[in-house]
Amino acid sequence: MSGSLDSYLILSGLLFAIGTFGFLGRRNAISMLMSIELMLNAVNLTIIAFGAFVKPLNVHASVIALIVIAVAAAEATVGLAIVIAIYRNKKTPLVDEYDSMSE
Amino acid sequence: MTALLPLILILPLGGFVLTGLLGRRFPEDAHRIAIWAVVAAWVVASLVVVMTLFHVSPFGPAGAGLKLWTWIPAAGFSADMGLYADPLTACLLIVVTTIGMLVHVYSIGYMAHDPGRWRFFAYLNLFMFSMLLLILADNLLLVFAGWELVGLCSYLLIGFWFPRRSAAEAAKKAFLVNRVGDMGFALGIMAVWTQVGTLNMQDVFARIAGVPHEWQIAIALLLLCGAVGKSAQFPLHVWLPDAMEGPTPVSALIHAATMVNAGVYLIARCNPIFVRAPEVMVVVAAVGIFTAILAASIAFTQTDIKRVLAYSTLSQLGYMFASLGVGAWTAAIFHLMSHGFFKGLLFLDSGSVIHAVDGEQDMRKMGGLARKIPITYSTMLIASIAISGVPPLAGFFSKDEILGGAFKNGFLWVWAIGFVVAGMTAFYMFRLIGMTFWGPSHVDPKVEHHVHESPPTMTWPLILLAIPAVFLGMVIGFPPETGLIHQWLEPVFAASIQYPISMGGAPETAYNFFGIDGALAIGTTALVAIAIVAAWRLFGVNVPALGLKAEPRPDRVREISARRGLSFLYNGSFHKWWFDDINNKLFVEWGGRLAAAAFWFDRTVVDGTVNGVGSVTAGAGMRLRRVQTGRVQNYALGIAFGLILMAAGYLYLAVR
Amino acid sequence: MPIGQTLPFTAVRWDDILFVVLAVMLLGSALLVVTMRDIIRCGLAMIASFASLAGIYVMLGNPLIAATQVLVYIGAISILVLFAIMLTETKNAPSRLVFQTQAWVGAIAAAAIAAIITGVVLTTTWPSTGAVAWTATSDIATMLFGQYVLPFEAVSVLLTAAVVGGVLMARREPAAREDRS
Repeated sequence: MSGSLDSYLILSGLLFAIGTFGFLGRRNAISMLMSIELMLNAVNLTIIAFGAFVKPLNVHASVIALIVIAVAAAEATVGLAIVIAIYRNKKTPLVDEYDSMSE
Repeated sequence: MTALLPLILILPLGGFVLTGLLGRRFPEDAHRIAIWAVVAAWVVASLVVVMTLFHVSPFGPAGAGLKLWTWIPAAGFSADMGLYADPLTACLLIVVTTIGMLVHVYSIGYMAHDPGRWRFFAYLNLFMFSMLLLILADNLLLVFAGWELVGLCSYLLIGFWFPRRSAAEAAKKAFLVNRVGDMGFALGIMAVWTQVGTLNMQDVFARIAGVPHEWQIAIALLLLCGAVGKSAQFPLHVWLPDAMEGPTPVSALIHAATMVNAGVYLIARCNPIFVRAPEVMVVVAAVGIFTAILAASIAFTQTDIKRVLAYSTLSQLGYMFASLGVGAWTAAIFHLMSHGFFKGLLFLDSGSVIHAVDGEQDMRKMGGLARKIPITYSTMLIASIAISGVPPLAGFFSKDEILGGAFKNGFLWVWAIGFVVAGMTAFYMFRLIGMTFWGPSHVDPKVEHHVHESPPTMTWPLILLAIPAVFLGMVIGFPPETGLIHQWLEPVFAASIQYPISMGGAPETAYNFFGIDGALAIGTTALVAIAIVAAWRLFGVNVPALGLKAEPRPDRVREISARRGLSFLYNGSFHKWWFDDINNKLFVEWGGRLAAAAFWFDRTVVDGTVNGVGSVTAGAGMRLRRVQTGRVQNYALGIAFGLILMAAGYLYLAVR
Repeated sequence: MPIGQTLPFTAVRWDDILFVVLAVMLLGSALLVVTMRDIIRCGLAMIASFASLAGIYVMLGNPLIAATQVLVYIGAISILVLFAIMLTETKNAPSRLVFQTQAWVGAIAAAAIAAIITGVVLTTTWPSTGAVAWTATSDIATMLFGQYVLPFEAVSVLLTAAVVGGVLMARREPAAREDRS
C-alpha cells in the first residue's frame, strides 16, 4: 500500500473532500480559512506523490510544492487580516452576518 | 322592353330611399311618395304580366332574362345581378303588386294617427322591393338576397311598435326562426354550386339531371328547409302567430299574401330539382298537410281575431305545400293567388273591425257588429265563404284542384287529411264571423256608442279585393285543369309533370266531372256545408225569415269538450299544442344553460390557460429569484456542484 | 539491531503500517478540524494534521518539503490562525452556530468529490515506477535558483505584499485628531 501511487492520491482526494466540506459547512470565517489550508495541503500531497513515483517529475514537484506553501502562507496572512478587520466592524466572525451588500 | 324589369324594382327602392330620407321632415305627406312608387310599380308590373301571359315578345312562355351587371366577379365563382320573368313570375307579380298597392292605400287610413307613419311607408316600400327582387331574380344567390331582405322587412314591420315589449320579442322570434330555415337554404345554395357549378336557375334546371341522386335529394331537402322557415311550416311555424303583433296592414301584406308565399314560390320554381327527388316530395306533402291540420286545430279555440286568421294562413300554406308535394304544381300556384286575395281581404277586414272597436282584438268582446259596419261585414263574409271553399267562389276551385290532385296522384292520406281540414276551415271561419258580427253585442259599453265604419281609404281596398275573391276562380280556374291558369303555367311545369310519367308512373287522367273528380268536389262541398251549419248553430244568429233558429253560445265549445272528456283536445288546441313551451324549454332554457357552460369553459379553461401561462411565468420568476441569495457561501456551494457536474460529465464521455 | 521488513510473524510490512497510521492521523485530525465546536481545538487539530502530513512527505522521500511543512505551516500559519482566533474572541458557540444551513448539501458535495477522485484514480493507469524516489535537496536547490528563479522572485514579492497588506488591514484606525479645525 505504501508503495503505490494510488493510495497517496486517494488520501489526498479524501483530504480535499474534507476540506471542501469544512469550507461549505462551517459558519466561522476562520474555520473556512482553516479548511482552505487543508485543501491546499491536499493539493500539495498530490504534487509530491506524483513527484515521488514519476521519475521525470521528481524535482519539479518539490519546487512547485515549495511555491504553493509560500503562496498559502501569504494568502492565510491576508485572509486573516481581513477577517480581523471585518470582525472589528461587525463584532462577529460568522459569515452569515456578512450580508450588508445584499438587500 | 326587358328594361321594364329593373324598372319594377327601382320604383319601390326609390320610394324607400326618398321616404326614408325626407319622411321625417314631412310626416303628413310621407306616404305620397310611397304610394306613387307602388302604384307606378303596379302599372309596370301589369304591363309585364300582360306581355308575358299573352306572349308579346320578348316576354313569353320561355321567359325573358336580363342581366344587369356581374355582381360578384370572383375567379371560379360569379353571380350576376340578373332578372328573369316567365309565367310563374307573372302570376306572383299579379298577387304581390296588386295586394301591395291596395295595402299601401289602406295604410293611409289605418296609420293616420301614428306619428311613425313615414317609417311605416318607407319599410313597406322596402318590402315591396325585396319581394319583387326575390320573385324576379334569375339566380339563387339573388333570390337569397331578396329572401333575407324580406326577412329583415318582416322584422322591422312586426316590431314597428317597438316600445311594446311583446312586439319587439315577436320580431326577434320571427327573425330567428327564419334564420334557422335560411341556414338550410344557404347550405342548399352551396350544394347547388358544388354539384352543378352555376347558380343561374335556368342553367341549374338544365343540368340537374346530371347530378348524383343523393345530391339531388340533399339539395331538395335543404331548399325545403328554407321554404319551411319562410312559409312557417311545421316545425318552424311558431313565429307567424306572434307576428300578429305588427300593424294589420303588415299582417295582410307580409304574412298573408306575399312573404309567406316565398317558400311556395321557391319550391315551385325549383320543381325540376324536386321532381327528381320523389322522397323529398313526400316530405313536402307530409310537412304541408300536417301543418294544415295542426294549425286548423289550434284555430278552433283562439280568441284573438288576428290569431285565428294567422292560423288560417298557416293552414292554407300547408295546403299549398301539400299540393306541391303531391305533384299538383299548378294547383298550388292557383291556390297561392286566390289565397293571397281573400286572406289579404280578411286581414284588412279584421283591421277595419279592430279600428271600429277602438283597438280591441278579443272576439269575446265583439258581437253584433253586422249592422254597424256593413261594408266590412259584407266583404268579410264574402272572404269567409271564399276561404271555406263554397262554389263558385275562388277558394272552391283552387282547393278542389289540390284535393283532386292529391287523390289522383295516389296520396290518399293527404287527401283524407285535407278533406277534414276543409271542414275545419269552414267551421272556424264561421265561428269567427259569428263571434264578431252576429249575436248580441259584448262590446265594451264605453266603446260601443262610437263604433263606426272605416274611412274610404280603408273601405275601397276592401271592395276592390272582394272582386277577385269572388271571380278569380271562375275566371282563371274554370274549366278545371284546362282553365287559363293551366294554360299559362303549362310551359313552366310541363317537364315536371312529364317526368314521373316517364319514370314509369301513371299518366294523368283528364278531368271528368261525372267521374271521380265530380264525386270529390261534391263530397268536399257537402262537408263544408255541414261545418258551416254547425258553426252557425253554435255562434250564429236567428234568421226568422228562413225559420232558422240558433243558440249562440260562444262558450259552448268548451262546455262540450269538457263534458265529453275532450278537454285534452281543447286544452291542447288552446295552448297551441304546447309548441311554444317546448321551444322555450329546449332552446331558451337548455340553450341558455349550454351557453352558460360554454361561457364557463371559455372563462375558466381558455382564459385560465392564457392567464395561467402568464402567472406561471411570473411565479417561476419569483421563485427563481431566491437563488440569488447574495451570500457568497451559497455561491461557493454552486461552484462546488458545478465542478462535480463537469467532472461527472467528462468522466461519462470518457468512459463512453 | 536491524528489524526486518515486515512485522514479525506476519507479512505486513512496516512501511504499510506507518502509512496507515499516518493516514489515519491525517484524516482523523482533518475531520476534527471541520467538525469540532471549539474553534481553538480545531486549530490544534489542524496542527496535528500538518504534522502527520509532514510524516507522509518523509515517506514519499522528500525531507526538505517535510521540514518546510513543519516550519511554515505549523510554525507560522497555525500560530497566525490561533492568534486570529484569539483576537476575534469567539466564545464557545452554541451548536446551531457551528454549521451553516447548507452543511448537509456541502457534505453531499464533498462526498461526491471524494467519490469522483477515487474513481478516477483507481481506474487510471498512472506512469508510476512503483517505488518511491528519494529527492536530493541539492537538486531542488539547483532547480529553484535555476529554472524556477522567476517564480521564486515573484513569490518573494508576493510575500512582501502580503506582509504589508496584512499589517495595513489589521491595524487599528488612527484616532481622529481633535485639534483639526
